[in-house]
Amino acid sequence: MKLSVINGSPRGAAGNTEKLLEHFIKGFIETGGNSVEKYYVFRSRPGFDNLKKVYLESEMLLIAFPLYVDAMPGSVKEFFESLEEMKGKRPDLKIMFVIQNGFPETYHNRFVERYCEKLVKRLGCIYTGSICKGGCEGLTVQPPALVEKVFNGFYNAGRSFGETGELNTEIITKLAHPEHLKPENLPQVIPMINNFLWDGMLKHNNAFDKKFDKPFE
Amino acid sequence: MKVLILNGGADNPSLDSSIQDLKHKLSDKGVDTGELVLRDMKYSPCIGCFTCWVKTPGLCVFKDDGNVICREVLHSDFLLLASPVKTGYVSALIKNALDRIIPLIHPYLEDIDGEVHHMKRYEKYPVMGLLLEKGGDTDDEDITIISDIFQRAALNLRSRLSFVNLTTKPAEETANEIISN
Repeated sequence: MKLSVINGSPRGAAGNTEKLLEHFIKGFIETGGNSVEKYYVFRSRPGFDNLKKVYLESEMLLIAFPLYVDAMPGSVKEFFESLEEMKGKRPDLKIMFVIQNGFPETYHNRFVERYCEKLVKRLGCIYTGSICKGGCEGLTVQPPALVEKVFNGFYNAGRSFGETGELNTEIITKLAHPEHLKPENLPQVIPMINNFLWDGMLKHNNAFDKKFDKPFE
Repeated sequence: MKVLILNGGADNPSLDSSIQDLKHKLSDKGVDTGELVLRDMKYSPCIGCFTCWVKTPGLCVFKDDGNVICREVLHSDFLLLASPVKTGYVSALIKNALDRIIPLIHPYLEDIDGEVHHMKRYEKYPVMGLLLEKGGDTDDEDITIISDIFQRAALNLRSRLSFVNLTTKPAEETANEIISN
């Protein structure tokens, strides 16, 4: 199988989406004969000519993006709009998504997931599903055991997809855990993210004392 | 009451005229109404660098019209996003503008009714509404998906979604719904 991967993160190859994709791809190419080509939405703006070509010629597409204001990043929306002119041209094209968010819960992704499924229907292609995952901000500062679990989940999803051509429901459901946090976990998780991730970065940038600034007041 | 309309149409004379009608109705009722025509503004898409959260808190790394959008949104009581439905969602002009208002909220997370959301940076945020112009292939499912996503977005922007109206609804009714907030 030949898979074309389109990374829709504005951070491109330096972001968290890329890391998740790397692990999915590692699993995918374990099956002999499978291959991957990678593309980036942000650097293809504003015309998206190369991505339109990929859309017209690919066997399978994987479109990945981080959640921005509860949906796709604006630059990914620009790309989707550019596909309008190709509606109905690829009835054989399979499209799937990876949607990741920075909140500790996967649930935030479930709304734009419905949009993605509808988009594929609108384009007249075949929807092969979405991998949704929360907790993906600051993968570099999270406890290694947690990060390992996320990466393994993407690797397993990729390997299984590489073998069967389908997303394994059991694997992606397990990977999406937790959809919601348990009430007793909220008071532990929230300060951990605020103190380790955000305060860490604020201090590193000598901006800690300005963290409550209101420049537009 | 101060109303801000973000006009997210690219080349939509009919949406422009719906917005004009609404502005007249609102000014007849004595409501201060402003409009930002996004197609005439220059703002980069958000690049997710988090400068606005961890380097210069509250301020974007880009010194462009994104700052105008932030200021105007913050100082309004009601934010109306007026957009054609394109590829089943609000236009990229609107989405890129929304991505650029995250400096208005705080990176810190907090528990809101059992879910994790961002903390406020400012005391008060405008109530939100959507005015959508259907495209040729827009169906009811598209409108439901947009409404559901914007319920969520309003929650994360520490606002409240008041309504999702179509441009086919009389401007008078939309104006009254805005005022009732």
